[in-house]
Amino acid sequence: MSEPHDERAIDVALTEALHRLPHRPAPARVVRRVERVLAPAPPGPSPGWRWHWARVLVPTLAAAAAVALATPVVVYQYNAATRAAGATMITEAIGDHLRIVQAQRPLEIESGDGHRVRPWFEGRLEFSPVLPFAGDNDVPLRGGALAWFLDRKAAAFVYGLRLHTVTLFVFRPEGLPWPTAGWQRAGASEVYRAGERGYTVILWRAHGLGYALVSDADPREVVQLASRFGGA
Amino acid sequence: MHEELAREALGHVDALYKLARYLTGRESDAEDLVQETYARAVAGAAGFTAGTNLKAWLFRILRNTFISMYRHRRASPEVSGVDITDAAATEEWLRDDMELDRLRKLVAEEIEAALMSLSEDARTVVLLDLEDLSEVEMAAVLECPVGTVKSRLARARAALRRRLRDYAK
Repeated sequence: MSEPHDERAIDVALTEALHRLPHRPAPARVVRRVERVLAPAPPGPSPGWRWHWARVLVPTLAAAAAVALATPVVVYQYNAATRAAGATMITEAIGDHLRIVQAQRPLEIESGDGHRVRPWFEGRLEFSPVLPFAGDNDVPLRGGALAWFLDRKAAAFVYGLRLHTVTLFVFRPEGLPWPTAGWQRAGASEVYRAGERGYTVILWRAHGLGYALVSDADPREVVQLASRFGGA
Repeated sequence: MHEELAREALGHVDALYKLARYLTGRESDAEDLVQETYARAVAGAAGFTAGTNLKAWLFRILRNTFISMYRHRRASPEVSGVDITDAAATEEWLRDDMELDRLRKLVAEEIEAALMSLSEDARTVVLLDLEDLSEVEMAAVLECPVGTVKSRLARARAALRRRLRDYAK
Protein backbone atom coordinates (compact mmCIF):
# COMPACT_ATOMS: atom_id res chain seq x y z
CA MET A 1 0.00 0.00 0.00
CA SER A 2 1.40 3.40 -0.93
CA GLU A 3 1.41 6.39 1.37
CA PRO A 4 -1.80 8.36 1.67
CA HIS A 5 -2.92 10.62 -1.10
CA ASP A 6 -0.91 13.84 -0.90
CA GLU A 7 -1.37 16.51 -3.53
CA ARG A 8 1.97 18.13 -2.92
CA ALA A 9 3.86 14.84 -3.03
CA ILE A 10 2.11 13.92 -6.24
CA ASP A 11 2.94 17.30 -7.73
CA VAL A 12 6.59 16.79 -6.87
CA ALA A 13 6.52 13.26 -8.27
CA LEU A 14 5.02 14.57 -11.49
CA THR A 15 7.78 17.16 -11.85
CA GLU A 16 10.38 14.49 -11.15
CA ALA A 17 8.79 12.28 -13.76
CA LEU A 18 8.97 15.11 -16.30
CA HIS A 19 12.64 15.59 -15.53
CA ARG A 20 13.10 11.96 -16.55
CA LEU A 21 12.09 12.83 -20.11
CA PRO A 22 14.71 11.59 -22.57
CA HIS A 23 17.53 14.08 -22.89
CA ARG A 24 18.12 14.77 -26.55
CA PRO A 25 20.51 17.65 -27.15
CA ALA A 26 20.37 19.46 -30.46
CA PRO A 27 22.27 17.38 -33.03
CA ALA A 28 25.60 18.75 -34.21
CA ARG A 29 24.12 19.57 -37.62
CA VAL A 30 21.52 21.80 -35.95
CA VAL A 31 24.22 23.59 -34.00
CA ARG A 32 26.15 24.15 -37.22
CA ARG A 33 23.07 25.52 -38.93
CA VAL A 34 22.44 27.88 -36.03
CA GLU A 35 26.08 28.95 -35.97
CA ARG A 36 25.80 29.90 -39.63
CA VAL A 37 22.74 32.00 -38.88
CA LEU A 38 24.46 33.71 -35.95
CA ALA A 39 27.73 34.33 -37.77
CA PRO A 40 28.29 38.03 -38.31
CA ALA A 41 28.33 39.26 -41.88
CA PRO A 42 31.87 39.75 -43.16
CA PRO A 43 32.76 43.43 -43.07
CA GLY A 44 33.30 45.14 -46.38
CA PRO A 45 36.50 46.98 -47.15
CA SER A 46 36.53 50.31 -45.39
CA PRO A 47 38.16 53.47 -46.70
CA GLY A 48 40.80 53.05 -44.01
CA TRP A 49 41.52 49.56 -45.24
CA ARG A 50 41.94 50.82 -48.77
CA TRP A 51 44.16 53.67 -47.63
CA HIS A 52 46.30 51.23 -45.69
CA TRP A 53 46.87 49.10 -48.75
CA ALA A 54 47.41 52.12 -50.94
CA ARG A 55 50.14 53.28 -48.58
CA VAL A 56 51.76 49.88 -48.63
CA LEU A 57 51.38 48.92 -52.23
CA VAL A 58 51.87 52.14 -54.13
CA PRO A 59 55.49 52.80 -53.11
CA THR A 60 56.30 49.15 -53.62
CA LEU A 61 54.82 49.12 -57.07
CA ALA A 62 56.46 52.39 -57.98
CA ALA A 63 59.80 51.03 -56.91
CA ALA A 64 59.32 47.83 -58.78
CA ALA A 65 57.93 49.52 -61.86
CA ALA A 66 57.32 46.18 -63.40
CA VAL A 67 54.32 45.16 -65.44
CA ALA A 68 54.67 41.67 -64.06
CA LEU A 69 53.85 43.00 -60.61
CA ALA A 70 51.22 45.47 -61.72
CA THR A 71 49.10 42.89 -63.47
CA PRO A 72 48.13 40.84 -60.39
CA VAL A 73 47.21 44.03 -58.57
CA VAL A 74 44.89 45.04 -61.34
CA VAL A 75 43.29 41.60 -61.18
CA TYR A 76 43.01 41.84 -57.41
CA GLN A 77 41.31 45.23 -57.57
CA TYR A 78 39.00 43.96 -60.27
CA ASN A 79 37.98 40.98 -58.14
CA ALA A 80 37.46 43.15 -55.08
CA ALA A 81 35.19 45.44 -57.07
CA THR A 82 33.36 42.42 -58.41
CA ARG A 83 32.83 41.03 -54.92
CA ALA A 84 31.65 44.40 -53.68
CA ALA A 85 29.13 44.68 -56.51
CA GLY A 86 27.85 41.17 -55.92
CA ALA A 87 27.74 41.74 -52.18
CA THR A 88 25.42 44.73 -52.63
CA MET A 89 22.81 42.66 -54.40
CA ILE A 90 23.26 39.69 -52.07
CA THR A 91 22.83 41.84 -48.97
CA GLU A 92 19.82 43.57 -50.49
CA ALA A 93 18.19 40.25 -51.40
CA ILE A 94 18.63 38.90 -47.86
CA GLY A 95 17.38 42.14 -46.31
CA ASP A 96 14.29 42.15 -48.53
CA HIS A 97 13.67 38.50 -47.76
CA LEU A 98 13.85 39.17 -44.01
CA ARG A 99 11.46 42.09 -44.30
CA ILE A 100 8.92 39.73 -45.83
CA VAL A 101 9.53 37.00 -43.26
CA GLN A 102 9.33 39.47 -40.38
CA ALA A 103 6.31 41.37 -41.66
CA GLN A 104 3.49 41.34 -39.12
CA ARG A 105 0.86 41.83 -41.80
CA PRO A 106 -0.12 39.09 -44.24
CA LEU A 107 1.13 39.01 -47.80
CA GLU A 108 -0.62 41.48 -50.07
CA ILE A 109 -1.94 38.66 -52.21
CA GLU A 110 -2.27 35.33 -50.46
CA SER A 111 -2.90 32.46 -52.81
CA GLY A 112 -1.31 29.24 -53.91
CA ASP A 113 -2.54 29.82 -57.44
CA GLY A 114 0.06 31.42 -59.69
CA HIS A 115 -2.70 32.45 -62.06
CA ARG A 116 -4.10 34.65 -59.32
CA VAL A 117 -0.84 35.91 -57.85
CA ARG A 118 0.90 37.02 -61.02
CA PRO A 119 -2.01 39.11 -62.40
CA TRP A 120 -2.23 40.88 -59.06
CA PHE A 121 0.94 42.76 -59.96
CA GLU A 122 -0.57 44.19 -63.11
CA GLY A 123 -0.63 47.96 -62.83
CA ARG A 124 1.46 47.86 -59.69
CA LEU A 125 4.79 47.45 -61.49
CA GLU A 126 6.24 49.00 -64.61
CA PHE A 127 6.94 45.54 -65.97
CA SER A 128 5.13 42.22 -66.13
CA PRO A 129 6.86 39.71 -63.85
CA VAL A 130 7.40 36.29 -65.36
CA LEU A 131 6.68 33.61 -62.78
CA PRO A 132 8.88 30.67 -63.70
CA PHE A 133 7.53 28.27 -61.08
CA ALA A 134 3.98 28.25 -59.76
CA GLY A 135 4.73 25.98 -56.80
CA ASP A 136 3.77 22.40 -56.05
CA ASN A 137 3.05 20.23 -53.01
CA ASP A 138 6.64 20.33 -51.79
CA VAL A 139 7.19 24.00 -52.40
CA PRO A 140 3.75 25.61 -52.29
CA LEU A 141 3.28 29.17 -53.45
CA ARG A 142 1.98 31.24 -50.54
CA GLY A 143 1.42 34.50 -52.34
CA GLY A 144 3.12 37.66 -53.37
CA ALA A 145 3.88 41.20 -52.37
CA LEU A 146 5.36 44.36 -53.74
CA ALA A 147 8.94 44.94 -52.68
CA TRP A 148 11.79 47.30 -53.32
CA PHE A 149 15.03 45.90 -54.66
CA LEU A 150 17.65 48.60 -54.22
CA ASP A 151 16.28 51.56 -56.21
CA ARG A 152 13.37 49.89 -57.95
CA LYS A 153 10.08 48.14 -57.38
CA ALA A 154 10.10 44.37 -57.49
CA ALA A 155 7.64 41.52 -57.38
CA ALA A 156 8.17 39.15 -54.48
CA PHE A 157 6.77 35.66 -54.85
CA VAL A 158 6.77 33.78 -51.57
CA TYR A 159 6.91 30.00 -51.25
CA GLY A 160 7.12 27.53 -48.40
CA LEU A 161 9.70 24.80 -48.10
CA ARG A 162 8.70 22.90 -44.98
CA LEU A 163 9.27 25.49 -42.26
CA HIS A 164 11.43 27.70 -44.46
CA THR A 165 10.34 30.65 -46.47
CA VAL A 166 11.65 30.97 -50.00
CA THR A 167 11.37 34.33 -51.70
CA LEU A 168 11.80 34.98 -55.40
CA PHE A 169 12.33 38.62 -56.29
CA VAL A 170 11.73 39.66 -59.88
CA PHE A 171 12.90 43.10 -61.02
CA ARG A 172 14.19 45.10 -63.94
CA PRO A 173 17.84 44.14 -64.42
CA GLU A 174 19.27 47.29 -65.98
CA GLY A 175 21.69 49.45 -64.06
CA LEU A 176 22.09 47.15 -61.06
CA PRO A 177 25.51 46.29 -59.59
CA TRP A 178 25.46 42.71 -60.85
CA PRO A 179 28.55 40.65 -60.05
CA THR A 180 30.91 40.83 -63.00
CA ALA A 181 32.61 37.51 -62.29
CA GLY A 182 31.91 34.27 -60.52
CA TRP A 183 28.96 33.28 -62.69
CA GLN A 184 28.47 29.62 -63.42
CA ARG A 185 26.83 28.07 -66.41
CA ALA A 186 23.89 25.92 -65.27
CA GLY A 187 21.72 24.57 -68.03
CA ALA A 188 20.55 27.39 -70.24
CA SER A 189 21.25 30.04 -67.62
CA GLU A 190 24.21 31.60 -65.94
CA VAL A 191 23.79 31.93 -62.20
CA TYR A 192 25.63 33.61 -59.40
CA ARG A 193 25.45 31.85 -56.04
CA ALA A 194 26.40 33.26 -52.67
CA GLY A 195 25.87 32.43 -49.01
CA GLU A 196 25.75 34.92 -46.19
CA ARG A 197 24.54 34.67 -42.58
CA GLY A 198 23.01 31.26 -43.20
CA TYR A 199 21.08 32.41 -46.26
CA THR A 200 21.63 31.25 -49.79
CA VAL A 201 21.05 33.69 -52.62
CA ILE A 202 20.98 32.80 -56.30
CA LEU A 203 20.91 35.52 -58.93
CA TRP A 204 20.19 35.11 -62.61
CA ARG A 205 18.73 36.92 -65.59
CA ALA A 206 16.06 35.59 -67.89
CA HIS A 207 13.13 36.86 -69.94
CA GLY A 208 14.70 40.32 -69.85
CA LEU A 209 14.27 40.40 -66.08
CA GLY A 210 16.45 39.93 -63.03
CA TYR A 211 15.79 37.21 -60.45
CA ALA A 212 16.99 36.70 -56.89
CA LEU A 213 16.04 33.55 -55.03
CA VAL A 214 16.61 33.65 -51.25
CA SER A 215 16.14 31.15 -48.46
CA ASP A 216 17.73 29.92 -45.27
CA ALA A 217 17.01 26.30 -46.18
CA ASP A 218 19.90 23.93 -46.77
CA PRO A 219 22.06 25.46 -49.54
CA ARG A 220 21.86 22.26 -51.55
CA GLU A 221 18.09 22.38 -51.44
CA VAL A 222 18.08 26.00 -52.54
CA VAL A 223 20.32 25.18 -55.49
CA GLN A 224 18.06 22.28 -56.45
CA LEU A 225 15.07 24.52 -56.06
CA ALA A 226 16.62 27.16 -58.29
CA SER A 227 16.71 24.67 -61.14
CA ARG A 228 12.93 24.42 -60.92
CA PHE A 229 12.72 28.20 -61.19
CA GLY A 230 14.93 28.12 -64.25
CA GLY A 231 17.84 29.61 -62.34
CA ALA A 232 20.23 26.68 -62.37
CA MET B 1 23.06 40.55 -33.19
CA HIS B 2 26.35 41.34 -31.48
CA GLU B 3 28.83 38.61 -30.72
CA GLU B 4 28.21 38.25 -26.99
CA LEU B 5 24.45 38.01 -27.41
CA ALA B 6 24.89 35.51 -30.25
CA ARG B 7 27.12 33.36 -28.07
CA GLU B 8 24.59 33.43 -25.23
CA ALA B 9 21.77 32.64 -27.66
CA LEU B 10 23.66 29.65 -29.01
CA GLY B 11 23.87 28.34 -25.44
CA HIS B 12 20.10 27.86 -25.46
CA VAL B 13 20.01 25.73 -28.59
CA ASP B 14 19.38 22.49 -26.68
CA ALA B 15 16.41 23.94 -24.80
CA LEU B 16 14.96 25.38 -28.00
CA TYR B 17 15.46 22.12 -29.84
CA LYS B 18 13.72 20.23 -27.05
CA LEU B 19 10.65 22.47 -27.19
CA ALA B 20 10.69 22.40 -30.99
CA ARG B 21 10.85 18.65 -31.01
CA TYR B 22 7.92 18.26 -28.64
CA LEU B 23 5.91 20.84 -30.57
CA THR B 24 6.50 19.46 -34.04
CA GLY B 25 6.91 15.80 -33.15
CA ARG B 26 9.49 15.38 -35.91
CA GLU B 27 13.23 15.85 -35.82
CA SER B 28 13.52 17.39 -39.27
CA ASP B 29 10.76 19.90 -38.55
CA ALA B 30 12.29 20.69 -35.17
CA GLU B 31 15.63 21.42 -36.84
CA ASP B 32 13.99 23.76 -39.33
CA LEU B 33 12.00 25.43 -36.57
CA VAL B 34 15.10 26.05 -34.47
CA GLN B 35 17.02 27.50 -37.40
CA GLU B 36 14.12 29.76 -38.34
CA THR B 37 13.83 30.86 -34.72
CA TYR B 38 17.45 31.98 -34.67
CA ALA B 39 17.12 33.68 -38.06
CA ARG B 40 14.19 35.69 -36.74
CA ALA B 41 16.07 36.44 -33.54
CA VAL B 42 18.99 37.81 -35.52
CA ALA B 43 16.68 39.91 -37.67
CA GLY B 44 14.81 41.20 -34.62
CA ALA B 45 17.73 41.49 -32.21
CA ALA B 46 16.99 45.17 -31.72
CA GLY B 47 13.76 44.11 -30.04
CA PHE B 48 15.52 42.27 -27.25
CA THR B 49 15.81 44.22 -24.02
CA ALA B 50 19.21 43.81 -22.41
CA GLY B 51 18.98 42.40 -18.90
CA THR B 52 15.83 40.41 -19.56
CA ASN B 53 15.69 36.65 -19.99
CA LEU B 54 17.17 35.81 -23.39
CA LYS B 55 15.94 32.22 -23.25
CA ALA B 56 12.38 33.36 -22.65
CA TRP B 57 12.69 35.77 -25.57
CA LEU B 58 13.92 32.98 -27.84
CA PHE B 59 11.13 30.66 -26.64
CA ARG B 60 8.63 33.34 -27.55
CA ILE B 61 10.05 33.65 -31.06
CA LEU B 62 10.06 29.87 -31.44
CA ARG B 63 6.45 29.56 -30.35
CA ASN B 64 5.30 32.36 -32.64
CA THR B 65 7.27 30.88 -35.51
CA PHE B 66 5.68 27.51 -34.88
CA ILE B 67 2.21 29.02 -34.81
CA SER B 68 2.66 31.15 -37.91
CA MET B 69 4.47 28.65 -40.06
CA TYR B 70 3.63 25.22 -38.92
CA ARG B 71 0.79 24.65 -36.52
CA HIS B 72 -2.00 24.98 -39.05
CA ARG B 73 -0.51 22.21 -41.15
CA ARG B 74 -0.52 19.58 -38.45
CA ALA B 75 -3.31 17.86 -36.66
CA SER B 76 -2.81 18.13 -32.94
CA PRO B 77 -3.60 15.03 -30.85
CA GLU B 78 -6.32 17.05 -29.27
CA VAL B 79 -7.30 20.65 -29.16
CA SER B 80 -6.65 22.62 -26.01
CA GLY B 81 -10.32 22.60 -25.12
CA VAL B 82 -10.19 18.86 -24.48
CA ASP B 83 -7.47 19.35 -21.93
CA ILE B 84 -9.65 21.87 -20.18
CA THR B 85 -12.52 19.43 -19.81
CA ASP B 86 -10.07 16.94 -18.37
CA ALA B 87 -9.90 18.96 -15.17
CA ALA B 88 -13.31 17.86 -13.98
CA ALA B 89 -12.78 14.26 -14.93
CA THR B 90 -9.53 14.26 -13.03
CA GLU B 91 -11.20 14.72 -9.66
CA GLU B 92 -12.37 11.16 -9.38
CA TRP B 93 -9.16 9.39 -10.22
CA LEU B 94 -7.10 11.78 -8.11
CA ARG B 95 -8.51 10.00 -5.11
CA ASP B 96 -6.56 6.97 -6.17
CA ASP B 97 -3.92 6.48 -3.50
CA MET B 98 -1.80 4.42 -5.87
CA GLU B 99 -0.98 7.42 -8.05
CA LEU B 100 2.17 8.40 -6.22
CA ASP B 101 3.66 4.94 -6.63
CA ARG B 102 2.74 4.87 -10.26
CA LEU B 103 4.30 8.23 -10.98
CA ARG B 104 7.55 7.14 -9.40
CA LYS B 105 7.73 4.00 -11.49
CA LEU B 106 7.12 5.63 -14.85
CA VAL B 107 9.88 5.33 -17.42
CA ALA B 108 10.95 8.12 -19.74
CA GLU B 109 9.18 6.73 -22.81
CA GLU B 110 5.86 6.57 -20.99
CA ILE B 111 6.19 10.13 -19.80
CA GLU B 112 7.10 11.26 -23.29
CA ALA B 113 4.15 9.46 -24.83
CA ALA B 114 1.77 11.00 -22.31
CA LEU B 115 3.20 14.44 -22.93
CA MET B 116 2.81 14.07 -26.68
CA SER B 117 -0.84 13.10 -26.23
CA LEU B 118 -1.58 16.54 -24.78
CA SER B 119 -2.54 19.52 -26.88
CA GLU B 120 0.23 21.77 -28.16
CA ASP B 121 -0.76 24.51 -25.74
CA ALA B 122 -0.67 22.13 -22.79
CA ARG B 123 2.64 20.62 -23.89
CA THR B 124 4.15 24.06 -24.27
CA VAL B 125 3.20 25.30 -20.84
CA VAL B 126 4.36 22.08 -19.16
CA LEU B 127 7.73 22.22 -20.91
CA LEU B 128 8.24 25.92 -20.24
CA ASP B 129 7.56 25.22 -16.57
CA LEU B 130 10.46 22.76 -16.60
CA GLU B 131 12.79 25.44 -17.96
CA ASP B 132 12.72 27.38 -14.71
CA LEU B 133 10.99 30.37 -16.24
CA SER B 134 9.06 32.56 -13.85
CA GLU B 135 5.32 32.85 -14.36
CA VAL B 136 5.86 36.38 -15.62
CA GLU B 137 8.39 35.13 -18.16
CA MET B 138 6.08 32.30 -19.18
CA ALA B 139 3.30 34.82 -19.64
CA ALA B 140 5.59 36.81 -21.93
CA VAL B 141 6.40 33.71 -23.96
CA LEU B 142 2.75 32.70 -24.25
CA GLU B 143 1.60 36.30 -24.64
CA CYS B 144 -1.15 35.97 -22.08
CA PRO B 145 -1.82 37.22 -18.53
CA VAL B 146 0.00 35.58 -15.61
CA GLY B 147 -3.31 34.30 -14.25
CA THR B 148 -3.93 32.49 -17.51
CA VAL B 149 -0.52 30.86 -17.27
CA LYS B 150 -1.35 29.55 -13.81
CA SER B 151 -4.69 28.11 -14.79
CA ARG B 152 -3.36 26.74 -18.07
CA LEU B 153 -0.46 25.05 -16.28
CA ALA B 154 -2.73 23.56 -13.64
CA ARG B 155 -5.06 22.14 -16.27
CA ALA B 156 -2.18 20.84 -18.35
CA ARG B 157 -0.58 19.06 -15.41
CA ALA B 158 -3.91 17.57 -14.37
CA ALA B 159 -4.42 16.30 -17.91
CA LEU B 160 -0.93 14.88 -17.89
CA ARG B 161 -1.55 13.06 -14.62
CA ARG B 162 -4.62 11.50 -16.13
CA ARG B 163 -2.65 10.32 -19.16
CA LEU B 164 0.13 9.00 -16.97
CA ARG B 165 -2.31 6.99 -14.96
CA ASP B 166 -3.24 5.14 -18.11
CA TYR B 167 0.39 4.47 -19.00
CA ALA B 168 1.22 3.30 -15.49
CA LYS B 169 -1.47 0.64 -15.34
